[in-house]
Amino acid sequence: MKTASSIALWVLIAIVGAFSLAALALGRGESVNAVWLVSAALCVYLIAYRFYSKYIAERVLRLDDSRPTPAVRHDDGMDYVPTNKWVLYGHHFAAIAGAGPLVGPVLAAQMGFLPGTMWILAGVVVAGAVQDFIVLFVSVRRDGKSLGEMIKIELGNTAGSFALVGVLAIMIIILAVLALVVVKALADSPWGLFTIAATIPIALLMGLYMRVVRPGKVGEASVIGVVLLLASIVYGRTVAGDAVLAPIFTLTGPQLAWALIIYGAVAASLPVWLMLAPRDYLSTFLKIGTVVALAIGIYVVAPTLAMPRTTRFIDGSGPVFSGALFPFLFITIACGAVSGFHALISSGTTPKMIEKESHMRFIGYGGMLAESFVAIMALTAACVLDPGVYFAMNAPAAVIGTTAANAAQVISSWGFTITPDMINQTAVDIGEKTILSRAGGAPTLAVGMAQILAQALGGKAMEAFWYHFAILFEALFILTAVDAGTRVGRFMIQDMLGHVYKPLGNTEFLPANLVGTGLCVALWGYFLYQGVVDPLGGINTLWQLFGVGNQMLAGIALLLCTSVLVKMKRERYVWVTLVPAAWLLITTLTAGVEKIFHPDPKIGFLALARRFSAAAAEGTVLAPAKTITEMQRVAFNNYLDAVVCGVFVLLVVAMAYFALRISLQALKQTRPTAHEIPSPVEVAAA
Amino acid sequence: MIVERLRGVAAVCRQIFGIPDYERYLRHMRTRHPQAPVLSERDYHANATDRKYGRNGSRCC
Repeated sequence: MKTASSIALWVLIAIVGAFSLAALALGRGESVNAVWLVSAALCVYLIAYRFYSKYIAERVLRLDDSRPTPAVRHDDGMDYVPTNKWVLYGHHFAAIAGAGPLVGPVLAAQMGFLPGTMWILAGVVVAGAVQDFIVLFVSVRRDGKSLGEMIKIELGNTAGSFALVGVLAIMIIILAVLALVVVKALADSPWGLFTIAATIPIALLMGLYMRVVRPGKVGEASVIGVVLLLASIVYGRTVAGDAVLAPIFTLTGPQLAWALIIYGAVAASLPVWLMLAPRDYLSTFLKIGTVVALAIGIYVVAPTLAMPRTTRFIDGSGPVFSGALFPFLFITIACGAVSGFHALISSGTTPKMIEKESHMRFIGYGGMLAESFVAIMALTAACVLDPGVYFAMNAPAAVIGTTAANAAQVISSWGFTITPDMINQTAVDIGEKTILSRAGGAPTLAVGMAQILAQALGGKAMEAFWYHFAILFEALFILTAVDAGTRVGRFMIQDMLGHVYKPLGNTEFLPANLVGTGLCVALWGYFLYQGVVDPLGGINTLWQLFGVGNQMLAGIALLLCTSVLVKMKRERYVWVTLVPAAWLLITTLTAGVEKIFHPDPKIGFLALARRFSAAAAEGTVLAPAKTITEMQRVAFNNYLDAVVCGVFVLLVVAMAYFALRISLQALKQTRPTAHEIPSPVEVAAA
Repeated sequence: MIVERLRGVAAVCRQIFGIPDYERYLRHMRTRHPQAPVLSERDYHANATDRKYGRNGSRCC
């Protein structure tokens, strides 16, 4: 009886899923309700979890609850804590969800909602969730070791060092691109900048409260913090309308870039309890709260998708980012489909808290499905917007100009009819002066969210509040990531410097710390500044560099998993990790090589560099550069981007070689050669 | 009864949001190391915060 009803249930889910996907993919012209998108995603997740993750857990990995996990063996009440499965799911999700799944899908919406949806769903089921799950498994079986250490143990020391360099390079690019998202969102926006600036004294106040006034009372401090945050959003409107205050909080892109660079250097040098910890709590609360609010909002409002299924920009001529659907869609949407950074979380705190091996299926595979759902909601929010408004917000000024009239004319010529009044009205609704060229995902998502949330709660009058709430929520956790990321980058740089000159590696030695922090900030600051003054808008360059780097890291993690499966003598299941690894290698290598060598200057770094340096040599100035020196700088920056991209490409090729060599050696062995902690049975036998 | 329930909810929230849990630490020390000296609440939080954001404080994009 139970089996019969269970079969009926899964058949029903499959039918609903197939019907929703059909509603999304088929049909002509008529607009689609976002509910189909959400229900298609949920059905795909349920089926993938019920069947594919079960297959991986039972057949491929053979999870074994008789093996004590690191949390059980080391249970120290501090880091190693056996944790309830549901609680750890929440904790793991809070750790993996960041700005990534919110930005990528918004950028990819320029190709229509269908390509992004398909990749998010297929990618998470076959690649992203598999990676998170198996890396978690590999780490738990190795006492909670980190990705870098595991690569060293399983693939050798050289591979480990290569991976470390790769992780550092990706960190730098991530910090730059996240900071760039904030710059794009806050430039010339006194309301937005005021609320973000207010988070600094609020965090300091909370930090002091939790350390000095009432030690450890995080809950009390957080309530105070959240109330003050909301007050700062409300007061921001007054600031923006004030003749004296508004100019103080109106900064240009380059000014904001400098402000962020200085902020990063100072914040990362302060003690963690003073600013990082309180900000981190605030941003986690807001993050979870906003994701839940958005999910409810979409469900209640059931908006229709204004963006077509596909747009003409799948041919690669899009204004938001250049390059055709293959391979660029697959590096633009990174987090949400598959994200290499999760390999660091799945081998960070989570493996130290797993209570039983069988929980890893729910936490690793299931956690990533939730992240993917966030990406689907971000895509929905972007596609609910009028396409004309979407392109006005995301196309660079070099393409659509700087006036509403000009932008409306250009965008209408693409076939997305919009009037200057509509553009201006959108800006008025959200309480901003302009919405033009606010690429980077955050503002677009904020407008989409504001429209959805305002319909669900508060009406038109609340739209400006919701917009600034959404901007605050994104900027807050990006700034937390900049602070924390700079610290991690500093440790990595000091590790490397320590090999050259010993005292620089000492993390307790203040001058060495300052050198490390300074270097880290200088590196990401350089790329940030370059992005802010980039003729094509910066996101076009940096987000794709980030995408290549992040997907490359996922490829490396999956290659490690592949080698581990072979070393465990489970080679008949090796396709589970090899197929996604191969797909990631194909897309990142194609994208990487095209970014470097493509003859179109909108895509290829070298082509753009040559164009600018050739023009500079002839003495002509190309817009938006104003002097020959600026021309030369654009050329240099593009050569530099080509080198970074080249490093990523070579790194992937090298790691593929290491993984292949180790796997071939392991194939010849008759016994398992993976370096696992032995199970109780194995110990007893030995 | 209600107070106990609320304590439970608070403990779950602390774990999800990664907030150091002094009560849990005390319980752990009582059951596992009853003889060992325990940290004060202030010291425990100072220690836990520093470790949480120490070397392996990496997070996601």
